[in-house]
Amino acid sequence: MSFLVLDHLRKSFGPTRVVDDFSLSVDKGEFISFLGPSGCGKTTVLRMVAGFEAPSDGRILIDGQDVTRLRPNQRQIGMVFQAYALFPNLTVAGNVGFGLRVAGVPRAARADRVAEMLALIGLPDLGGRYPWQLSGGQQQRVALARALAPSPRVLLLDEPLSALDAKIRLSLRNQIRDIQQQLGITTIFVTHDQEEALSISDRIVVMHRGIADQTGTPSDIYNHPATGFVAGFVGTLNRFSAEVVDPVAGHVRVEGADIALGRLLPPGRVTLAARPESLKVAPEGIPARITGVEFLGSVHRLRARAGGAELVLDRFNAPGEALPRPGDHVRISAAPAAWLVLPE
Amino acid sequence: MKRFWSWAAIAFGAIYFLLPLIGTIEFSLRMRRGEYSLDAYASVLADPNFRATFGYSVVMALLTILLGVLIVVPTAYWVRLRLPRLRPVIEFITLLPLVIPAIVVVFGYIRLYNTSSVLPLTGTATGTNILLLCGYAMLALPYMYRAVDTGLSTLDVRALTEAAQSLGAGWVGIIGRLILPNVLGAVMSGAFLSFAIVIGEFTMAALLNRPAFGPYMQLLGANRAYEPAALAVIAFGVTWGCMGLLQLISRLLGVRKTAT
Repeated sequence: MSFLVLDHLRKSFGPTRVVDDFSLSVDKGEFISFLGPSGCGKTTVLRMVAGFEAPSDGRILIDGQDVTRLRPNQRQIGMVFQAYALFPNLTVAGNVGFGLRVAGVPRAARADRVAEMLALIGLPDLGGRYPWQLSGGQQQRVALARALAPSPRVLLLDEPLSALDAKIRLSLRNQIRDIQQQLGITTIFVTHDQEEALSISDRIVVMHRGIADQTGTPSDIYNHPATGFVAGFVGTLNRFSAEVVDPVAGHVRVEGADIALGRLLPPGRVTLAARPESLKVAPEGIPARITGVEFLGSVHRLRARAGGAELVLDRFNAPGEALPRPGDHVRISAAPAAWLVLPE
Repeated sequence: MKRFWSWAAIAFGAIYFLLPLIGTIEFSLRMRRGEYSLDAYASVLADPNFRATFGYSVVMALLTILLGVLIVVPTAYWVRLRLPRLRPVIEFITLLPLVIPAIVVVFGYIRLYNTSSVLPLTGTATGTNILLLCGYAMLALPYMYRAVDTGLSTLDVRALTEAAQSLGAGWVGIIGRLILPNVLGAVMSGAFLSFAIVIGEFTMAALLNRPAFGPYMQLLGANRAYEPAALAVIAFGVTWGCMGLLQLISRLLGVRKTAT
């Protein structure tokens, strides 16, 4: 049985429905990311799990217990906020030990647990400092230790990396994942950053307009997007309008070029799509004209135009390899399995 | 030239505030003919009524601060957290004591809580003390509310509340352990003004016939020459001394440190 169950959750603010029939089952120790653009309802679902918002309909179960009507302080859930929300009147140790103090844990046991948590986040010597004496990354790590100290059943992370600079964000996200795996704690992570979600999640829920468009592993979400929205939101996608020539054999025609996909296709017109790293300059394929070449370190990014479509192709940086130049007429292709077929 | 006018403004302000004080101090020392002495102070301090009335007002002032904190901190917190649209209404209500004269309020109290009413508070000394305490808390409301509300504006009240709730804290714990310590500096500002208002308040205490310091000063001023001046200086010094003590206590308790 799943450890955390969100069962047909709905939430409306006045006449506006922000979450619609959202269901999800999470196993114990799983790391789930809610990914989506601003206003898609991901934070609202998280806040319903935390108890800060009451669902208009549906149930929330943790370890078999229905917590839908429980107050936030009765749910045994740890939460980390985007703006850290450290208590300014308390030291780092005071912050980390706050939940234990509320729970009536004796002073000695509290001190041991605080020391353990500070060691876990790599700040063992900062217990006596106040929040304003710490950097943003340190504050967020303290917030993580504070949320974990009372051993919550579920950990909720509400865009915890958004306020940090790129370098800190990268190191902290790895640290969050390491700690989560070390403790085996069931975690929900809300983000609008696809790279974050793809890199640390066991599964991702892509949300759009209050519903879960697709739930799957990072690889599933990236390589096999279920909807046009998921395909466009996660990663960069090159799209072509294609005519299905042979639905049974899986042949399509794009800009006068025949492409064999080798799978059953719907009759009529479809959208053919491919990731930048899947497209190649090849002897056969869709005719295109190179409009620009950018050097991004590990890759060269080629920009091209094929009919009305603007394309992006990524090629690994291999010193000595010849690259097309702006203005060159080339043909573009991809492996049959790399093509995504989306409804027109 | 600009510097000159700056100093002139400071000098004018200093004269405006200090001259009456210096004049009062000087006059209080002239009780003995032809020389300065502390006779007026000795006379005041020897009067048992001084000690009784001043002690009464200090106790009332401290209770007023306590009542004010108990009313204002949860109210201002709740309005910021859950009822932000009601803020203008609450601000208007807290301003009313500034526009309604104390004499109107106290007559209202006497009409509402006299011995023939449902709640005859004026029938006993304790009841009248409670009534006076409520009146003082109301008089101090504009200052206490503004100070606390300003203190709360420096905090992300919602995030702190939710963080505390997720850690298992209830409302009393959140207000007592987080909100109050974080607005303690603001509460002390409100407390200072409340203390100053209560120590010198005359109208309510006189009309409710309570042995407070304000009516005692008025009585002494009507019958003596030098003692009222000495009394004013003593009251001034003791009030500032008490406030210094409050500040010291709040620092020892650990008022929130803020980044500079």
